[in-house]
Amino acid sequence: MKLMVSLTAQSLWHRRTSASLTLITIAFSIMLLLGVEKVRTETRNSFANTLSGTDLVVGARSGQVQLLLYSVFRMGDATSNISWQTYQKITNHRLVDWTVPISLGDSHRGYKVLGTNENYFKHYRYGNRRALQMREGKVFSDLFDVVLGAEVAEKLGYKLGDRIVVSHGMGGTSFARHDDKPFIVTGILSRTGTPVDQTLHLSLEALEAIHIDWKSGVRDPNSSKSVTDVEKMQLQPKQITAFLVGMKSKVATFQLQRAINNYRKEPLMAILPGIALQKLWDMIGLAEKALLLVSGLVVLVGFIGMLTVLLAGLNERRRELAILRSVGAKAWHVLLLLGLEAVFLTGLGIILGVAGLYLSLFLFQGILESELGVFLPISLLSLYQLKLLAVVMLCGAMVGLIPGYQAYRNSVSDGLTVRL
Amino acid sequence: MADDAIDITNLQFAWKREQPLLDIPSLSLPRGESLFLQGPSGCGKSTLLNLIGGVLLPQQGKVEVLGQALTDLSPSQRDAFRADHLGVVFQMFNLLPYMNVLENVILPCRFSALRMQKAKSREGSVESAAKRLLSHLELGDASMLKRSVTELSIGQQQRVAVARALIGSPELLIADEPTSALDSHNRQRFIDLLLAECSSEQVSVLFVSHDASLKDHFDQAVCLSQLNQLCGEAAV
Repeated sequence: MKLMVSLTAQSLWHRRTSASLTLITIAFSIMLLLGVEKVRTETRNSFANTLSGTDLVVGARSGQVQLLLYSVFRMGDATSNISWQTYQKITNHRLVDWTVPISLGDSHRGYKVLGTNENYFKHYRYGNRRALQMREGKVFSDLFDVVLGAEVAEKLGYKLGDRIVVSHGMGGTSFARHDDKPFIVTGILSRTGTPVDQTLHLSLEALEAIHIDWKSGVRDPNSSKSVTDVEKMQLQPKQITAFLVGMKSKVATFQLQRAINNYRKEPLMAILPGIALQKLWDMIGLAEKALLLVSGLVVLVGFIGMLTVLLAGLNERRRELAILRSVGAKAWHVLLLLGLEAVFLTGLGIILGVAGLYLSLFLFQGILESELGVFLPISLLSLYQLKLLAVVMLCGAMVGLIPGYQAYRNSVSDGLTVRL
Repeated sequence: MADDAIDITNLQFAWKREQPLLDIPSLSLPRGESLFLQGPSGCGKSTLLNLIGGVLLPQQGKVEVLGQALTDLSPSQRDAFRADHLGVVFQMFNLLPYMNVLENVILPCRFSALRMQKAKSREGSVESAAKRLLSHLELGDASMLKRSVTELSIGQQQRVAVARALIGSPELLIADEPTSALDSHNRQRFIDLLLAECSSEQVSVLFVSHDASLKDHFDQAVCLSQLNQLCGEAAV
């Protein structure tokens, strides 16, 4: 066996040009397979971890996924709002520990503006129950303070103390701008990899304030209160878009959910974010399966390439194999020789592919995160990835049996005569 | 007979049933002697060598090598028998290009424990056995051992192949047209060295060539076209 391994290695080294091309093909296909698998798991993880630590998400009655989309992912719009009285009532419910109000509708150069209170910074959790971190500055305390998500600050080049004008509605170049009441950047959050990065956070009162002179989506020309006027007014919000609920005891979650869903005075809906996230992922997860399929096919192509090289090389190696037979190699030695070659190539390809994956992760991690918002941590191979590699290794060895069997048959029919 | 290196009786062989190729009533080579087998191509030379080498089995008749009837052995036993007792030299390209001269010469010892042990007990180590054989074949230069075989001339390559065939003292050497790629001067020298080494080692030689002018060097000479009852018909 040792002899066969060293013969295989020496023979491969002798044919290193064509062998290294095969090796590169296999290494690349394995790198792609692992890379796709990595992106897939990480996107799924970061998706599932967009919101954690929240027991219920409450909004106006619509669809589960729709509520999740607008409240957590800032996608689409709410069909209707929740009255402030109802919000207060649920906040003061005996089973409720905390609530985070969310009020949406305005934007700033394409980024959503979210009205909330200090609870947002205290209770919002993402990933493995990670709290929001302030990278610079502090949480809003004045009426016209704004806290930026990491991406907003980075892409638009804002720093602490900058003045920002919020637009009414969505769109980067809205004509309806709240330019009479600019905001001052007081805080910038650390990057989270969630939609929080793309959000501007104001107080609910501020959101109320900028809409004071507005009726039906346009500014009332007969009324224009100044910033100082507004600061003296009572700015009790009349309604909010949605809110997050943290329970005193998890056990009571379903009880409260039922109570909210059956609330008679207003059509409300409470959803369990974990389940809704899973449901949403199932809908969009088809793409990830397609991706995995494609990378599986790439590995297949890699193997077909290897098979081609091995089979094509068989004619050139017929002499080599006959020489080995003449010095005492048995017919199954020949089979083993070709099989080992495939195992060698696949094994080395796996090693190179894994090395290539880590190298490219190391090199492109920053670019991927800043350009695509996908954060790929450098971690050990997962059990699933190891299983994939084991399957690849097994397939490689099986592929080697095809030229191995062919060589075995050749060597039986050629015998001790070397064909020129 | 047990003291024959090769003993063939009533051998018949056909690749396909309707196309018989060999019909040899009798052929024997006593131990320690050399036999020149001459034959034009198409007469079944290679097939006969494969039968003696135990790669093929006859449909009828008996092939005994060193007193062992090859038909009594399994394919894997025949492979092992060949590894232990036979040395083979081909027409050309005998050597593995990815090994140096020394590695090529000692290769049979890595497949056969018997030949490894024989080489060691006679010379102390396989390396010194290889060195001795190479120096007898006029390849004794110290730099020769580590040289790549692709740097050698064809004549040198063929002599390295002989050293490889003889390492670990096999009882029978089969040489299949080993001189056809050599010029006449080298051919003479090659055959002289080969036979000298084989007779001093008591190795029986089966030498196959189409060149009848070489037959005077050998103890016996036969023509396959006369030996094989089917060859005349096949030629017609």
